[in-house]
Amino acid sequence: MRGIFSDGPRTALTAFYWAFLLYLLLPLTLMMAMSFKDASFVAFPIGNWTLDWYGKVMQDKQFLDACLYSVMIAAASMVAATTLGTWIAMLIVAEGIRGRMIIFALACLPAVVPGMISAISLRIFISTIDMPTGTAAIILGHTVHAVPFVVVMALTRLRSMPGNLVDAARDLGADNVVAFFRVTLPYLGPALLGGMIFCVLLSIDDFVRTFFLGGYRPTLPMLIFAKVQGGMSPEINAMATIVLVVTAAVGLYAEYMTRRARTR
Amino acid sequence: MSDTSTTTRRKALQLFGIGAAALTVPNIIRPRPAWAESGVLNVTTYDKFLPQDFVEKFQKDTGIEVRIRLTDDQGKQYNLLTAEGANPSTDIVTVAGHRYSQFISSKLLQPLDTGKISNWKNLNTAYQDAPWARVDGNLWGLPILAGYEGLARNVDYIKEAPSWEIMFDPQYKGQTSYIVSDFMTIVMQYLGHDGDFVSYADKRDVAQKATNEARDFLIKNKDMVRKYYDAGSEVQQMFINEDIYLAHSWSGPAAKLIMEGHPIQLSVPKEGTFGFCYTLNVVNNAPNAENAYKLLDAILANPEVGAAMTRQSGYSSTMNGVGDLLNDREKLASTLPQEQVDRIIFFSSVNRDMKNELIDRATAEVKAA
Amino acid sequence: MVSRQTTAGQPIAYAASAPKYSTRIASVVRSPLYQHTLGAAVESRIGRVLLLTGVPLLWLVMMHLGPIYQMLKISLMSHYPVQQGVDWHYTLANYAIFFQESIYFTPLIKSFVFATAATAATLIVVYPVAYYVAKVVRPEGRSRALLLLLVPFWAGELIRTFSVIMLLANRGGLNVLLREIGWIDRPIPMLYTSFSLGFGLVYLICLYMLLPLYSAIEKIPVQYMDAAADLGAGPFTRFLRIILPLSKDGIVSGCSLVFLTCIGVFATPMLLGGPNTVLFPETISGFFHGASNKWPVGAAFALIMLVTALFTAAIFMRLVGGKKRSAF
Repeated sequence: MRGIFSDGPRTALTAFYWAFLLYLLLPLTLMMAMSFKDASFVAFPIGNWTLDWYGKVMQDKQFLDACLYSVMIAAASMVAATTLGTWIAMLIVAEGIRGRMIIFALACLPAVVPGMISAISLRIFISTIDMPTGTAAIILGHTVHAVPFVVVMALTRLRSMPGNLVDAARDLGADNVVAFFRVTLPYLGPALLGGMIFCVLLSIDDFVRTFFLGGYRPTLPMLIFAKVQGGMSPEINAMATIVLVVTAAVGLYAEYMTRRARTR
Repeated sequence: MSDTSTTTRRKALQLFGIGAAALTVPNIIRPRPAWAESGVLNVTTYDKFLPQDFVEKFQKDTGIEVRIRLTDDQGKQYNLLTAEGANPSTDIVTVAGHRYSQFISSKLLQPLDTGKISNWKNLNTAYQDAPWARVDGNLWGLPILAGYEGLARNVDYIKEAPSWEIMFDPQYKGQTSYIVSDFMTIVMQYLGHDGDFVSYADKRDVAQKATNEARDFLIKNKDMVRKYYDAGSEVQQMFINEDIYLAHSWSGPAAKLIMEGHPIQLSVPKEGTFGFCYTLNVVNNAPNAENAYKLLDAILANPEVGAAMTRQSGYSSTMNGVGDLLNDREKLASTLPQEQVDRIIFFSSVNRDMKNELIDRATAEVKAA
Repeated sequence: MVSRQTTAGQPIAYAASAPKYSTRIASVVRSPLYQHTLGAAVESRIGRVLLLTGVPLLWLVMMHLGPIYQMLKISLMSHYPVQQGVDWHYTLANYAIFFQESIYFTPLIKSFVFATAATAATLIVVYPVAYYVAKVVRPEGRSRALLLLLVPFWAGELIRTFSVIMLLANRGGLNVLLREIGWIDRPIPMLYTSFSLGFGLVYLICLYMLLPLYSAIEKIPVQYMDAAADLGAGPFTRFLRIILPLSKDGIVSGCSLVFLTCIGVFATPMLLGGPNTVLFPETISGFFHGASNKWPVGAAFALIMLVTALFTAAIFMRLVGGKKRSAF
């Protein structure tokens, strides 16, 4: 920030960031380029370019339906997992709680269970509690899977949260509820946002649990896995590209709107 | 009150508003399970196996709503049915040949009553009552596609591959790939044993010795292999990217590459190989078994369905009249010279337990070596 | 992501604004519904304890333990699924198999080594990036800098894996490029090696490290660093003495997430590995995917892995995260 000593690291960090971004985006650029290939399998060289795959995908009712369904499931499991995860994290850091370690291990459990085993055990479990398969079961399965990630994220901030923040608010007459919403929650903000991103990503990447817990209405990953089974076609790349472009556009637009609202 | 308990209270209070909604998510919705409704049929199958217009016409003609669950792998289907036990949510499953006997012995399927399928005659006679298909005196599924474990090669680099031996030729070191468990049985054939375990029914010792020999041979030649793969899409991509020139491959994925004009050839080497069929099977305790038979009948009545399955999977159809609907390249891709066809033995259905147990274990040993 | 000015150095700002809560919250607090339900519950000690512990414990026991209990039961059975007329009994034999056979033991050890190495590599690569976004970028640009990093992840795990294949294959982007510019005549086999596995693994998993690190580094007050600089500390000292200790929570969280995910779940990167990269999850899934019915053994192995993985993570947290409030 100041003087000649800090400029070296600063430049190095900037360069590193852009290099890392290139590393993240380069393979995807190839993936996107392949979506314009006029053949049934992706491969170099691309040869003939075409837009047909996009036309096909945009008219594919199954694809659009799967996208909407995935978004719905991801949103529902995100809300549930974020709430529960934060709650569990609060319990873990609460003072006077015994067996923290056990609670924490229990909270992390679903993150370590391989997908297939988790899916099988959830399937058997929901039939023992007499719950039907379907959307609700899928949301439940995704929530169970995502909770550990929210807990761990919330702990990145909760554990070192200065106690005097809440104390000060209380001393000034704030109700505890208000103290939570006005002090703790904003302080957790970036961590919880990260947790929410994990929830959504885990949900839209999951297909084993979805297959076991419902599955007659395909989610996006189920559709993509089923299509890959028949060969890696540019059609799949076109689907992924559309998803990417739309989410990136929505994200950047939301960021732009928030920034504009704040500077006003 | 001590200091600690005040803080606990404080924390407790902070928890207040969050979360009440979360617990209500499961269990709140208890609709009548859709898979048990009468006008419904639940099919678990591969993408594009049942063409959209065929399904729509079937729905219109019969009033049955067809619900399709797309699968990409046999293990998942098997595990799901096993987990569901006596109350399956599926009526029809699509079973691959090497799993056929496993599904039957696990009591996941019901015997097929061919009397309920008036179009059974449209099935190629070779598959109407094949010896491999009859288990415990019953038929258990409608064969839809036939395939074999072939030797696939990139003809730009390898002109001929008359023997499985080429998979161990130092010249192609690091340029081969295979599915370990499947290739193990082929290696047993190659080494002069019985890779299908039919003759080992009461000779566990002999079987164990033969398996160990194949296992040790694969471990010794581990540096020949570029990758052990699982899914057909993997071997396709490796061929296209020229990461490998040679592979043991199920005929379907390789045939699809040939249909697309890639420089790939499939052959059955002189030591022989194994063949199998994909079958559509009615699940044991299926909630809508009657509807399932209607669909099987409709599939046999319409060669377009068989053609769609062949185009999607690369395997040959078992149904009459499908050949007329395929173009030359599609036909060529799934055709072999007669002498090579004669080398294909269909997987038997006897002594499966011993085979599966020994092969699975040897597979784990090869991978861990 | 959202750059709030919530740094530990400014509690006063909060305290001052706390009583002036928005009318919406105030009206909820004053409403009879609130006063008679939650408001009343909070008045008693038991009510408060129940509020804090009730939902989380219920969820953990029901939903986290419940399904695993099913697996535990299966792992102790001699047969599963049980068919009519087949005798079955409870047994520990499925667990014994693990300890008797090195072919099962070795992959677990390999998995641990692999997960540890992957965690370390991810930490080293991602830390500077997280630091850059959290501290070097101006606050108003942070969201955008993070968003850019997030973009690739929406394509899904499988697609990202295939795009790494497209890059590294013999006829992939990199080899084509190198051949075009004439640096090589024959393609360099990069795929299905430890290089491609490492490349792909960091590629797929870095977000689990990035977000925890970001959220931990972001809260370090700038004033601390400025003060240290004023006292003459060089960049390296500042990093070692201030930034690193204060971002400890993020390191602990990120490492646990990456470690646990790598060890148990991550199957997709295996598409990028060679024949010598067989790890424990694959051994387990062999029991479920194989043609012989070995659910009980697979379940037993999964439980062995769960316990060892969680135990390792807990030890790690105690070692690194130790001391006062973390209390692990």
